[in-house]
Amino acid sequence: MKKEPGINQLKRRDFLKAGLVFGAGASGLAAGYAAVPDAFARAVYAAKKEGVANDNILVMIQLAGGNDGLRTLVPLADPALYDLRPKLAGPMVSKALPINSQYGLNHNLGGIKGLWDKGKVAIVQGVGYPNPTFSHFESIRIWETGDPTRRQVDGWLGRTLATSYDSNGHPLTGCACGATDAPGALRDLQATLTVIQDQKTFGFTGGSEVEAAVGALYKGTPGIYGALFDTAIATATETMATLRTSASSYQPMADYSDKVKLVYSSKNQLAAALQLAAELIVTGTGVKLLHVTLGGFDTHYTELNRHDDLMAYLDSAVSAFYTDLAAHDMADKVLIATWSEFGRRPKENASGGTDHGAAAPLLLIGDPVSGGLYGSEPSLTSLDNTGNLKYSVDFRSVYQEILSGHLGADAQRILGASYDHVPFLKAPVAV
Amino acid sequence: MNHVSVAPAQDQVEAPRAVRRGITRRQALAAAVATGLGVGAIRLIGGSMQRIASPRTASAGGWISPLNSEGARVMQLLRRTSFGYTASQLEAALSDGFAKTVDRLVETRPVEPPAFAAAASPGGRFAIPQLQQWWIDHMLSTPTPFAERMTLFWHGHFTSDYRKVADNTFVYWQNLTWRRMAMTNLRSMLMEVTTDPAMLRYLDLATSTGANPNENYSRELMELFTMGAGNYTEDDVRESAKALAGWTLPQPDSFGLDQGNRRLPIYTTQKSGVFNQRRAYRGSVTYLGKTGSLDTQGVIDRILAQPATANLFAARVAQHFVTGQPTTSFVAGLAETFRRSKYDVKTLMHAVFTSAEFVADANYRGLVKSPTEFMVGAARALGNASLAKVIAASGSGMGQTLFDPPDVNGWPNNESWMSSNTVVERVNFATAAMTQSNGSLPSASDAVHIHLDGVLSSQTADLLNQAADDRARWFITLASPEFQLK
Repeated sequence: MKKEPGINQLKRRDFLKAGLVFGAGASGLAAGYAAVPDAFARAVYAAKKEGVANDNILVMIQLAGGNDGLRTLVPLADPALYDLRPKLAGPMVSKALPINSQYGLNHNLGGIKGLWDKGKVAIVQGVGYPNPTFSHFESIRIWETGDPTRRQVDGWLGRTLATSYDSNGHPLTGCACGATDAPGALRDLQATLTVIQDQKTFGFTGGSEVEAAVGALYKGTPGIYGALFDTAIATATETMATLRTSASSYQPMADYSDKVKLVYSSKNQLAAALQLAAELIVTGTGVKLLHVTLGGFDTHYTELNRHDDLMAYLDSAVSAFYTDLAAHDMADKVLIATWSEFGRRPKENASGGTDHGAAAPLLLIGDPVSGGLYGSEPSLTSLDNTGNLKYSVDFRSVYQEILSGHLGADAQRILGASYDHVPFLKAPVAV
Repeated sequence: MNHVSVAPAQDQVEAPRAVRRGITRRQALAAAVATGLGVGAIRLIGGSMQRIASPRTASAGGWISPLNSEGARVMQLLRRTSFGYTASQLEAALSDGFAKTVDRLVETRPVEPPAFAAAASPGGRFAIPQLQQWWIDHMLSTPTPFAERMTLFWHGHFTSDYRKVADNTFVYWQNLTWRRMAMTNLRSMLMEVTTDPAMLRYLDLATSTGANPNENYSRELMELFTMGAGNYTEDDVRESAKALAGWTLPQPDSFGLDQGNRRLPIYTTQKSGVFNQRRAYRGSVTYLGKTGSLDTQGVIDRILAQPATANLFAARVAQHFVTGQPTTSFVAGLAETFRRSKYDVKTLMHAVFTSAEFVADANYRGLVKSPTEFMVGAARALGNASLAKVIAASGSGMGQTLFDPPDVNGWPNNESWMSSNTVVERVNFATAAMTQSNGSLPSASDAVHIHLDGVLSSQTADLLNQAADDRARWFITLASPEFQLK
C-alpha cells in the first residue's frame, strides 16, 4: 500500500500552495476578511521547545454586538450622564450595586459583585484602541487579531496556540464551546482546535462503523478544501476519543441555567457553553484556551430591558461557572475575561437605545486576579469628535498581561510589540 | 427507454423556445459521464466486492476537472444554482444543454410557495420551525429551485433574524418579498428592503426619528448591504440616518388577545412600511459628498452612484456561485456589467453563469455547499421529499438555521462551513437521510456519475467498492467530501 501523505506532515506552505490563503482584502467583500478556517491546519508537529510549562487556563467570553460599558460599570456621580441619557440614566444609576463612591456594577451583576467583594474581579476601564472603527465586523477583526492596522490574519489566541502549545494530536488544547465554527481569535494556520456546539450531541449517530468509515473517507482529500475537510474529521474523532475517556468523571457542582428571561431569546446558550468548558477543564482533557460567545449586545433599541437581561444572563452563567470550578478545586487555574468589539455611544438615540461606541471596561474574573479597578474612566464631558469615549488602556495591554502573566507565553512574539503594563494579576507567572 | 418529451416548468419559460432534440435518458447520462469513468458495474461473482468506481483525481492533489464535457458543466450549473437535482430534472437540463439551461434559470418566473397557513396568527406567534419546514418543503418540490437558491442568497445578504423581528408574520412576508424581487433591479430592491417590516424591526429604522436618529440601518445599509466598509465616513452614517428616518411599521388589520389578555396585532394581508412625514428630518444633509434635502430614494440613488456598490455585489455572487477566491479582474468585469445594466440582477447572474470562470477547470469543486444546499440536494438526489422536517432540525448544528443568521452579516461561506462540529453533523444527516429513506433508492452506481461526476478520491472509490449494498453506497456518497462540494 502506498502511504498516504498524512495531514500531520502538512506545512503552512502546503496550504499556501493549495491556494487557501484567507488573507485580508479578499475581494473587497463587506465582511472585510475571511480568516483562516477553524479546524484548519494540524500543521507543524514539532514540539514547541519554547512552549508554556504550566497548567493555567484562559476562558474568553465574547459579548458580541458591542457591550454598553456605561451600563456595566455605572458612573454613579457624574451629572453629565443624565444629559447624555435622559431616558436611560435614572434607573441604571439608582439600581446599581456600588463598589465605591464613584462606580457601581449593573444591578443584575449580583453574582459578579459577590466575587468582587472577595477580591476576585478586576475591572480595566476605558479599554480601546486608536482611531476606532464603528463597524462591528472591522472592530471584531481588530480585537480578534490584536491588530488595528488590519494586516494580521491569524487570531491572537490562535497564534498563542501555534507558538506556545503543542496542539497537534491534542485538538482540545483550544476549544470553541457552544459554537459551530471557530471565532477568529482562535484561528491560525498552524494551530489545531476543536469546535463543539453541544457535547451531548457531539458524536456519530451511526456509531463506530460510521466513525471508521468517515475516518477512511476523509484522508488525503484532493483540492483546495482537502486539508480543511480531513482536519475537521480528524479533529472531531480525536476529540471524541478524548471525551470518551474523560466525560464520565464530571458532575456539575453548580446550577447552570439558560432559563434567565431575555427580551428576545438568545441564540447562544452561554450557561450551557460554560458548563461544557467546565467539563473539559475538570476532566483533565488538557484544554488551555477556551472561547464562548453571548450575542445580543447591539442594543440600538429598548436598551433598558434588553441590556439588563443580558447582564443577568451573563451573571448567572459566570457565577455558576466559577462556583463549579471552585467546587472542583480548579478556580486557581482559570482566568475568565470578557471582551466586546466596542462600547456604546454615551448619548442615547430616539429608540431608547444607543449606537456604536468606542472605549469600554473589561471584566477579568477568577482566583488569579488581584481585584480592583485599573485604567481610568473616560470623561463624559470630553468626548472624541464622533461623540464617543476616549480610550485610556490599549486592549493589547490586557492581552499582554493575560499572555505573559497568566499563560506564561511570549506576549511580545505573539503581539509583535510591548504595551503598557496593567497589573491585574495577583501572582504573574515568571516568563 | 424513456424519451424526454416534457421538461418540468416548460410552460414558464419566457425565453424563445428552441426545438427540443429527442434524447433518451441513457444518452443523457452517457453524455454526462463521458469524461467521468464510463465504467459499468462489474459484479465480482462470488464476492461481496462490486467495482463501481475508480479513483480519478490528479496526481498533484487536485480534482481532475470534467468540465470539458457539456454534461459536467450542466451538472455543476444545477448544483450551484438549484440545490442539485432529481434524475428527471437532470435529464431535462442535459437535453436542453448548458446555454439554454442558463437562459431558463434566469428567465423563468419564480413559482410562489403555497400560502403559509399560520401566517395570520395574532402577533405572528407561530413556531419558527413550521416556517422553516414550509420553506424547505418548497425547496424540495418547486419546479423553479433557482428562485429558492436566490431567495436564500438574498436572505443571507439582506438578512434579518426572527428573534429580534419578534413577529414571525413579518419574517414570512420577508421571505415572500425576497423571492419576488430576487431577479429584479437593485434600485427597486433596495426600496423593498428598506421598507420591509421585518427589516424595519431588525435594524431599528421603524423607531428612528429625524430629531434623534438611530444609526443601525443607515450603517448596515452601506457597510453590509451595498458599499462595504471604507467607502463612506462616519458623517455619512449620521447624515443618512437622518435622511432615512420616518418609516414606521404598517397598521395591523385587526387585534387579538393572548392568554394574558394582551392585545396582539393580526395581519391578514402583506404590507410594507409606512412613511410618517412628522417623524422625518426636515433640513438638508451632506451625504456622500453632496448637500441638500434627501429622501429614502435619494439615499438609494446616491449609493447606486458609488462604484463600490456594484463591486460588492459582484464579489458576493462570485464567491457564492463561482469560486471562494475570485480574481480582482473577474469581480471588476462583473461589476461593470452590473453597473452598465443599471443594476439588473438577471443580467448580472447571466454574466456569472456564462463567464469563463464559471466553467474553468481551476474552479471545479471550488465551492463548499451550504448546509441547506447539502441537505436539500441530498433529499432531491434520493428522491425523498419527506425529509423536510429532518432538514429543518439539522441546520443548526451545521451552522445554518433559516431565519436565524448568526449576525447582521448573514452566513459566512465556503471554508467557514467546515469545522469539527459541522462535519460530524453533515455525516449524521447522511445517516438520518438513509434511515428515513425506506423505499427503493435510485441506483447508487448511477449516483456516482450523476452526483459526483465520477470524479472521486481513491478513498471514496475504495469505500464505494467495498460497500455491502446500495444503502451503504448511498451513505458513502452523501457523506463523502465530494458531495460537500459544488
